[in-house]
Amino acid sequence: MKVRMAHDLVRGAPKFLLALAFALAAHQGLAQGVTDDMLLNAHKESDNWRMVGRDYMSTRFSPLNQVSTKNVRRLVPKWTFSFGVLDAQNTTPLIHNGVMYVTASHGRTFAVNAKTGSMIWQYNHPLPEDAGKNMCCDIGNRGAALYGDKVFVSTPDAHVVALDMNTGKPVWDVALGNYKNAYSMTVAPLIAKGKVIVGLSGAEYPTRLFIEALDANTGQQAWRRYTIPAPGEPGAETWGSDADNLKFGGASAWITGSYDPALNTVYWGTGNPNPDWDGVGREGDNLYSNSTLALDPDTGAIKFHFQYTPHDVWDFDGVNEHVLADLGGKKVWLHGDRNGFLYSIDRTNGKFVYGKEISKVNWATGFTPEGRPIVNPEKVPSYTYEAKDICPASEGGKWWNPMSYSPAKQMVFVPSREICTDIKSAKGERTEGKPHWGIGSIKWNKGHGQLVAFDAKSGNKKWTVDAPSPFMSGVLTTGGGLVFAGTPEGEFKAYDQDTGRELWSYQTGSGIVGSPITFAIDGKQYVAVPSGFGGWTGWATIGGGGAPHLKDSRKGGYVTVFGLFDE
Amino acid sequence: MQEAATVRRLSFGRESDMRNSVAWFHHAGALALTLLLLGAARAEEELKNPFAGDAAAAAEGKRLFLKTGCYACHGHEAEGAVGPDLTDDEWIYKPTDSMIFNTIAKGRPGTVMAPFGDQLTPDEIWKIVEFLRDKNRQRHLEQR
Repeated sequence: MKVRMAHDLVRGAPKFLLALAFALAAHQGLAQGVTDDMLLNAHKESDNWRMVGRDYMSTRFSPLNQVSTKNVRRLVPKWTFSFGVLDAQNTTPLIHNGVMYVTASHGRTFAVNAKTGSMIWQYNHPLPEDAGKNMCCDIGNRGAALYGDKVFVSTPDAHVVALDMNTGKPVWDVALGNYKNAYSMTVAPLIAKGKVIVGLSGAEYPTRLFIEALDANTGQQAWRRYTIPAPGEPGAETWGSDADNLKFGGASAWITGSYDPALNTVYWGTGNPNPDWDGVGREGDNLYSNSTLALDPDTGAIKFHFQYTPHDVWDFDGVNEHVLADLGGKKVWLHGDRNGFLYSIDRTNGKFVYGKEISKVNWATGFTPEGRPIVNPEKVPSYTYEAKDICPASEGGKWWNPMSYSPAKQMVFVPSREICTDIKSAKGERTEGKPHWGIGSIKWNKGHGQLVAFDAKSGNKKWTVDAPSPFMSGVLTTGGGLVFAGTPEGEFKAYDQDTGRELWSYQTGSGIVGSPITFAIDGKQYVAVPSGFGGWTGWATIGGGGAPHLKDSRKGGYVTVFGLFDE
Repeated sequence: MQEAATVRRLSFGRESDMRNSVAWFHHAGALALTLLLLGAARAEEELKNPFAGDAAAAAEGKRLFLKTGCYACHGHEAEGAVGPDLTDDEWIYKPTDSMIFNTIAKGRPGTVMAPFGDQLTPDEIWKIVEFLRDKNRQRHLEQR
C-alpha cells in the first residue's frame, strides 16, 4: 500500500486521493471491497473464499497445502460460533480479507473475525411469522455473495438484501415473489458483470419460478428468466393439454450457477416440474424443468439447454451445481444429478459427452446418443400402479450438496447415497400456497451413504467410501491432497484424495448439511465447517425410511473452525 | 421465588387495612390477578377435544391434515420429515389436547411451525388433533 501511494503521488492527485481513501479505510478497520478482478481470479489465489463455489468454475478446490495428508491428524478446533437458531444450516461460509461472512437459517447473516471467532455484526432479516410455512424443506440458506462494499443474501420470504459490508445495515432490499404463495429463496447469489443473480425455490407448490439478475448497486431488475415458457414461446408445447401448467409448473432454480467469462455464459440448473410425482396432464418433456440453462448474463437469454430428466415423475429436481472443467482440450461442465448420473456436457454447445452412474440406477436403462435417458417403464408410477424399488430415490444419486473438483488431479468427489423408493402417484388438489406433490403413497427403502471419486475425463470410478448414512455435506478438496466431507451424524472427516483412506475425524455435535471451506490468515491455514441437522429428511424415515437411525437427530446451528495444533 | 411471592401477597391480604387506599388497591389488584390466573388455568384445563375417540372425526382429521398441507413437513402419516414425528411420545412439551390445538392454531414462534388458526375452524383443528392422538394410540397398540 505504501509503495502504491508513493507511486500515485507522482502520477496525479485523483489516484492519490483514492489511495488515501483506501488507507483511511484500512486505518479505521473498514473492509475493502471485492472487485471483479478478485472474483475473476479467485482460482489463482489461496487465502480467501469469496464465493460459495470458491471460483467461477465452482470447483470448491483450494490450492492451500499447509494442512496435508501428512499432518491433518494434528487438526484441532480453534473457535466455534453459534448462530442462535436450530434448523438446517445449509450454508457455505465466505472469507474476505480475514472476515467470515456466513448465513444461517431463519434469515440470519453474520460477519465474524475469522481468526478469533468474534462477531463483528449480525443481520436478522425481519421475517414474517409464517415465512417457513410454504418452504418445503426447512427455513435454511445456502450462503452469501460479496461484491464492492456489499454482502448480498436471499431470504426465506423471497427478498434479496444488500448489506453494508462494514456494518451489516441493509442498503437495499427487494422482494421478488409472494412468499405466501410459496415463492421463497435459499440460494446463494452469483455475482457476474456487476449483477446479483438469484433463483427461486417453490416447486413443491403450484408456482412459475425464475432466475433473476439485479443491479448490484441499486437492486433494480436487470432481467428475469422464467424457467417455464410463456404461452406461444418455444417449449410451451411440452407441457401437455392443461394450459395452467404454464402458470404452475414449478421448475425452481435454488442452486447457485457457474460463470464462464470467456464464453460470456452463466450455467444455471432448474428443478422438478410440479406436481412432483404425478405426470398426468403434463404430457411432454416439460421444458425447462430439470435442465441446465446456458444464459447470457447481460440479457438472461437462453443460448442453449440440456435436459437431464424429461417429463420427471420421480422428483429428480435437476438444480445441482455445475463444475466447469477443461478436460483433454474440451470445455465441459460436470454435473452430478439426483437422477443418479454424473454428466459431462460440452459447455460451448450443450452436447452430451457422458453420463455415468454415481449410484445404482434402474429408472433408466441407458442413453440415446444425444444423452436422453431411456426410461424403464417398470419404474414409472401411476394412479393404479405402485412402482417398486425405484433407484435412486428423489434425493439421488447425488443430492443438492455440492461436489468438489481437483483441477490438479482432474478428479471429482461426489457426496452420494444408495437409497431407493416405492411410489404410487395420485391426483392432488392444485391450490396456490398449498403443497402439491401428486403423491398417493411413497416409502423410502433402507440404504446407505457413500462418497465417490471419479476420474473427471473418463467418468470412471476411482474409489468409493461406504458410510451408514448419506453424505449430506458439501465437499472440499485442497492442494494438500485432502478431501473434506461431513456426515449427518456430525462427524467432519478428511480423506486421502488418491485412495479414499480416512485420515482424520472430528465430532462437531450436530449433523453437517452445509459445506466446508478453507482459508489462510497470516500464513496459517484454517478449515471451517457449519453444523446443524435439518432440512428435508422425509427420505430418512418415511415408510420405513432410507436411514431410520437419523430420526430425531440432534439439531445445532454453528460453525467450527480448525487449524493445526500449535506446539 | 414464585411461592414466596404468593405467600407474601396472601399475608398482605389478611392484614390489609381498608383505610389505606393504596393497600386496598394492591389487594384488589392481587385478587384480580389471582382470579385471572385461575381463570386462564381453568380455560387451559377446559380445552378438551369434543371429538375425542370419534373415529369418523379422526378420518376427517386426516383429510384436513393432507388438504391443509401439514403433510409437506410432517409426512403423509404424520411420521415426521422436515417437521417432527407427531405420532410418537418424543415431544418437547407434553402432548395434551390443549397444547396440540394451540400449536396448530397459533403456531410455535421461533420455529417453522406457523399458525393455521386463520384457515381452519376450531372444529377442524380438533379433528386434526384427534387424527394425531389416534395415530399415537395405534402406535402403542402395535408396540404391545
